[in-house]
Amino acid sequence: MSTMENSLLTPEVKAFVGVQSTEEIACDVVERGAVRRFVQASLDDDPLFHDIAAAGRHGGPVAPALFPASMFRRDFGSEDILLERALDPDFDGLVGSATQGLPPLPLPPTSLLNGGTEVEIFSYVRHGEQVKARSRYENIYEKAGKSGPILFVEIVTDYVNQAGTPLIRVRKTQIRRRI
Amino acid sequence: MMVTEQLFFEDVQEGNPLPDLTFGPLTAPILMRWSAAIENWHRIHYDRPFAIQHDHLPDLLVNGTLKQQFIMQALRRSAGVRGWVWKARFQFRGMNLVGETLRVWSNPAQKRELGDYGLVALDIGILNDEDVETTPGRAVVALPYRDREAAGVPYPFTPPDIDL
Repeated sequence: MSTMENSLLTPEVKAFVGVQSTEEIACDVVERGAVRRFVQASLDDDPLFHDIAAAGRHGGPVAPALFPASMFRRDFGSEDILLERALDPDFDGLVGSATQGLPPLPLPPTSLLNGGTEVEIFSYVRHGEQVKARSRYENIYEKAGKSGPILFVEIVTDYVNQAGTPLIRVRKTQIRRRI
Repeated sequence: MMVTEQLFFEDVQEGNPLPDLTFGPLTAPILMRWSAAIENWHRIHYDRPFAIQHDHLPDLLVNGTLKQQFIMQALRRSAGVRGWVWKARFQFRGMNLVGETLRVWSNPAQKRELGDYGLVALDIGILNDEDVETTPGRAVVALPYRDREAAGVPYPFTPPDIDL
């Protein structure tokens, strides 16, 4: 355990290592139109994403490897943050949680930076399939910085299809400092 | 442009870069199209007054998730239809701004022969128009052997019990 002055890595925070989210199901299945918009927007014209012959090895047209990570969006009937904060000049437009469905860490006010991303790819999701995700706090550790302790929070999210077949694993490292 | 020729494990030489892939210029409509496609409404990617006056940024920022797609696309095209991009990691160390053209590069750093296929570890990154690196990282791709037609990279990909 760290004994750093003003440490953010308290026993309460450390206890979150291993905590998992509940399984979340994306609000839509993999839609052809959503895949089309995604690949056109990412300047990717590979026929793998629409041509049955080109995607034969995968059993049909697929979505790009990281597409599942973009599927967890606002569902029908959920609150509209953009409208609720329409008159807030400081609202930056960010919607959703930075903790991937996990309970937030008991921290004082901190800044949050993306310290890096690692992805592992096992298979592509096909058009029409459903995607599920579950996250966990993989590791939480601290290092000394020039202006105080820096907390590193590793969150791993596993994405699978409706049959439980692994699609991708995404490991994100958040960097948090006291504000 | 599609890569039509399959890259084989034997073709790869450590220190001999794979073909770059270039994206851009990344105009405001292109950035807005990406934000809409993934329903990411962070204003620093499409609202110039907010980005500059409120967040004190030099201009609209290219989305990190879009840069991820560029890296994954470049790796996938290098690996070819019979290869597989097993994993990639990257850090967002610098900003890329609207109007820039980005070049994804990859350089083989290490090779490992397995039974049915080989693994190649690549140093990767994204350079802007001024050759400034913003997204350094490392990737591992699985490639088939040229002379062993019966073998190949399995699909779905089951990670081997080794690392590079």
